[in-house]
Amino acid sequence: MKKYIDLMKSYTDKVKDNKLAQGILLGTYILVTTLSLYLSGKSVIAFLLLLASLLLLHFTKLGRNTKWGIAALVLVVLLPLSASQGDAYQSYMEVGTLVGIYVAMALGLNIVVGLAGLLDLGFVAFFAVGAYTYSIFATPQAANFLSFGTFPLGGEYFWVFILIGGFVAAIFGILLGIPVLRVKGDYLAIVTLGFGEIIRIVFNNLDRPINITNGAMGLSSITPPKLFGLTFTFPSQFYYIALVILVLTIFVVRRLEYSKIGRAWKAVRENDIAAQSMGIHLVRTKLTAFAIGASFSGMMGVVFAAKQTFVDPTSFTLLESITILVMVLLGGMGSVPGVILGAAIMTILNMQVLTELTNWLNQLSLNNVISIPDALSPAKMQRFIFGAILILFALYRPQGLIPAKNPIFNAAKLKNGSTPKGQEKQKQEVSLKKESASYVNLDS
Amino acid sequence: MSILTVKNLTKRFDGLVANQDISFDVAKGSITAVIGPNGAGKTTFFNMVTGVYKPTEGSIMMEGQSLVGLKPHTISRKGIARTFQNIRLFGSISVLENVMVGLHNHLKGSLLGIMLSLPSSKREETFAQEEAYRILEYVGLAEFLNDEAQSLSYGAQRRLEIARALATKPKILLLDEPAAGMNPRETKELTDLIFKMREELDLTIILIEHDMKLVMEISEHIIVLDHGEKIAEGNPEEIRHNPKVIEAYLGTGAASTAS
Amino acid sequence: MLAEILHTLPQVLIDGLALGAIYAIVALGYTMVYGILELINFAHGEIFMTGAFIGTAILITLTGLGWIAVMPALLALLLVLVITSVLTGFIGMGIERIAYRPLRKAPKLITLITAIGVSFLLQDLVRFITEVKRGNYILTGPSMFTDRVEVKTSSVLSVFNDASFKESFIIVFVVAAIMMITLDFFINKTKWGTAMRAVAQDRDTSALMGVNVNKVIGLVFFLGSALGGATGVLFAIQYGTIDPYIGFILGLKAFTAAVLGGIGNIRGAMFGGILLGVLEMFASANLTLMTNGVFGAEYKDVFAFAILILVLLFKPEGIFGKVVMEKV
Ligand SMILES: Nc1ncnc2c1ncn2[C@@H]1O[C@H](COP(=O)(O)OP(=O)(O)O)[C@@H](O)[C@H]1O
Ligand SMILES: [Mg+2]
Repeated sequence: MKKYIDLMKSYTDKVKDNKLAQGILLGTYILVTTLSLYLSGKSVIAFLLLLASLLLLHFTKLGRNTKWGIAALVLVVLLPLSASQGDAYQSYMEVGTLVGIYVAMALGLNIVVGLAGLLDLGFVAFFAVGAYTYSIFATPQAANFLSFGTFPLGGEYFWVFILIGGFVAAIFGILLGIPVLRVKGDYLAIVTLGFGEIIRIVFNNLDRPINITNGAMGLSSITPPKLFGLTFTFPSQFYYIALVILVLTIFVVRRLEYSKIGRAWKAVRENDIAAQSMGIHLVRTKLTAFAIGASFSGMMGVVFAAKQTFVDPTSFTLLESITILVMVLLGGMGSVPGVILGAAIMTILNMQVLTELTNWLNQLSLNNVISIPDALSPAKMQRFIFGAILILFALYRPQGLIPAKNPIFNAAKLKNGSTPKGQEKQKQEVSLKKESASYVNLDS
Repeated sequence: MSILTVKNLTKRFDGLVANQDISFDVAKGSITAVIGPNGAGKTTFFNMVTGVYKPTEGSIMMEGQSLVGLKPHTISRKGIARTFQNIRLFGSISVLENVMVGLHNHLKGSLLGIMLSLPSSKREETFAQEEAYRILEYVGLAEFLNDEAQSLSYGAQRRLEIARALATKPKILLLDEPAAGMNPRETKELTDLIFKMREELDLTIILIEHDMKLVMEISEHIIVLDHGEKIAEGNPEEIRHNPKVIEAYLGTGAASTAS
Repeated sequence: MLAEILHTLPQVLIDGLALGAIYAIVALGYTMVYGILELINFAHGEIFMTGAFIGTAILITLTGLGWIAVMPALLALLLVLVITSVLTGFIGMGIERIAYRPLRKAPKLITLITAIGVSFLLQDLVRFITEVKRGNYILTGPSMFTDRVEVKTSSVLSVFNDASFKESFIIVFVVAAIMMITLDFFINKTKWGTAMRAVAQDRDTSALMGVNVNKVIGLVFFLGSALGGATGVLFAIQYGTIDPYIGFILGLKAFTAAVLGGIGNIRGAMFGGILLGVLEMFASANLTLMTNGVFGAEYKDVFAFAILILVLLFKPEGIFGKVVMEKV
């Protein structure tokens, strides 16, 4: 028996270190899940299992470029292709698009909460700002207060508006951040909480004196994006837009995280007084985090509005803000892979699992197997579930599912110094050191 | 020549006077010690010099420029760095990154450059890593580069605070009880490091310290605070024999150290 | 315009005082916890809401048993207030014990997140318990103290219109005043109050001096939550209909009141609450008039929020607070 276990262990150890074995196993896994999704046409399980291959991919020892290549293959080709066979194609792609949108937003919030350590509880407000920025101009609405131009704008403008939406959201972030971040970090939580509600109230009432947002009625028939004559209307098309923005987001977040800005965020999070003494401008650093996080949310707001072709204030409630916070905490604050995982889990939970579960329970009740009161149907229990996740993770696993990792530096590389400036300094240093050694020796 | 001049410096918290009418000069390139019993107002003095607290009255001049009213990050840019009595490292990031934070103002990369991953920002990042590593070597912490700062031993954490302060390339280095909690061997190494830094890095060092052996060995000039007031000032020999100091602070223990 | 504002002023003041008294007591809960733990206890708004539901549930039960009909209304009210505040007091203590205490050494961010989690959990718990029991989570209690009292304010000054209020206004105001005075006395004049102030000032030193810090913190949560819960009952009586989400915005405003008065300052919270209540009522009555119809009463929540931002910008330490510096 023991021998058998040892044998197993040696096998798993081998797989742990062997790239080839990992590659083959992962390849097989992807092949099987792709095929089962392809053949079954409509299987939530197969869909989720295929997505899970990305998680496996994360844990393999494969090279970075290989990983990106495989991920691209799965997301760009395999997933859409294999899902396209069944009648649930669009609904899968809808889920895929929403996962993309939420992952990008969660990455934005991760900068604020995870890296800079600022609690933003009204994050969805920036999403709303982005969504309305596009919607107002992509419907006849803008003509109500602008005397020039013809509205709605054409779908070609969508691409510019992704940037504009992000920019406007960032401005809002800064305007809100200035009074708060200047004062006290923990007031931020409550002010953003209020701000989230306020933005909703304002959008809800900004149909007079000038009709800007069309109030509670919302804005409908938003112009869909257009590129080279192609109009984007189906989720299977938006999926690619979301994917591209997401990839760019991940790239930018990664860059920032391991730069002087990312380090300044972490320093402020860890100890703001020491950070200031190191020459870090506290308010500016916090504002940068706040604005960049907001801009991600704003950009995805534009995509969301174009995808739904309709926005109204009810899409931007506190529950949404908390959902994004749950994504970050669940996945791991400050951890990019973690936050991606957290966002994917929560979106799928929200979109599919809870509704499926509710349908299933309703079915059971109909068949008199068990009877669950309507009040307890899982789809209604979001607040309870999210609240519980927040408490449990904060108490027992604050680092999340995939904890943030510090970068590992290679001492040998740093020692040799690749930049000329570094080398020069080093030489100088060595000579100085010798002198000083003798000084100390003489003295003691 | 003096690099730092304080005049009539006073700090009041509500009723409590933490620093009362303190004036003195710090000579460029010197090692100056600020001593005094707990609660004498030593850390408060550091906090005013580094802009953490604003003086109630009085002036602080560095090379002819006033520091009063400046924000801590501006003062850091002017060339004053410090360590903290109650260690304030960036606990959960790596040792190397802690030092890299100190280099913040010596890196020019812009937000856009970083986001677009321009070659210049990449190069600068590599430079920062190497520079930080070099500083770690200098204070003798190179082997811990990838460890979490909070996982270091107490003595090593104090050294890391020094390394981080050095990274800002200061002209004046303020050390708040750098030897607190160190064993004799670590204290000895620290003493050597302080000498070495002063000699090689063109630094003026001001330190707060309770370890009298270290203070007497290391400093050229000593300032004694008691109840927020400066009660004496002079070289180690003068301080050792100053009756006021002996009475207020050193007590009978001082006599035995002196003899 | 001024004349029109003056016409309604007496009524605005009455309504503002009622609302302000409620803000004030809820603000006390925020300010006490913040004073001692530097934690924004988001769940406090939900404690208030839970109090409203517990109180209403008891009233409904008593009515069902036919007791209300035979009991003097004031006695029934007193009974409900006592039971509710003891229950919510223990809920508050329980929350501290389970969700906050293990995190006392953790980064503030984590504790704030737990607080938000608790807040959501409570909202949904109350929602589904009410929904399971009554089929609907919006609850209307038995009407009490609903007789209207006319005040001839026009005889004081001729520009004033007459005002009126429900009897419950007196109840709200008197009970609130009694609670505030008692709390003020408790904090300033008793041994436990002294311990609370000591812990708020310096937790470690208090512990060294032999104060049982955990007990004091527990007590703070009990008191704050008991007052909050009782206020929930007052709210339910004054405004009639409640739902599980009333605690959220109200909590936000109460916190604003606490900041306005100077966070950590008990009397400041009382004053801030009353002031905010009156200002808000004033705004909701006159905003349309003052802005020529650009903004209406629907912006009254925005108005409270704007006050919070303005206070943070120009007087972050609040009206009665003093500037505190972190010891470095
Ligand atoms: N932020 C502050 N608020 C109130 N009192 C303070 C503050 N900082 C320091 N003090 C008080 O000032 C006095 C001097 O403190 P400090 O400068 O830390 O003394 P030392 O460093 O000499 O031990 C002490 O009584 C301390 O309690
Ligand atoms: Mg000190």
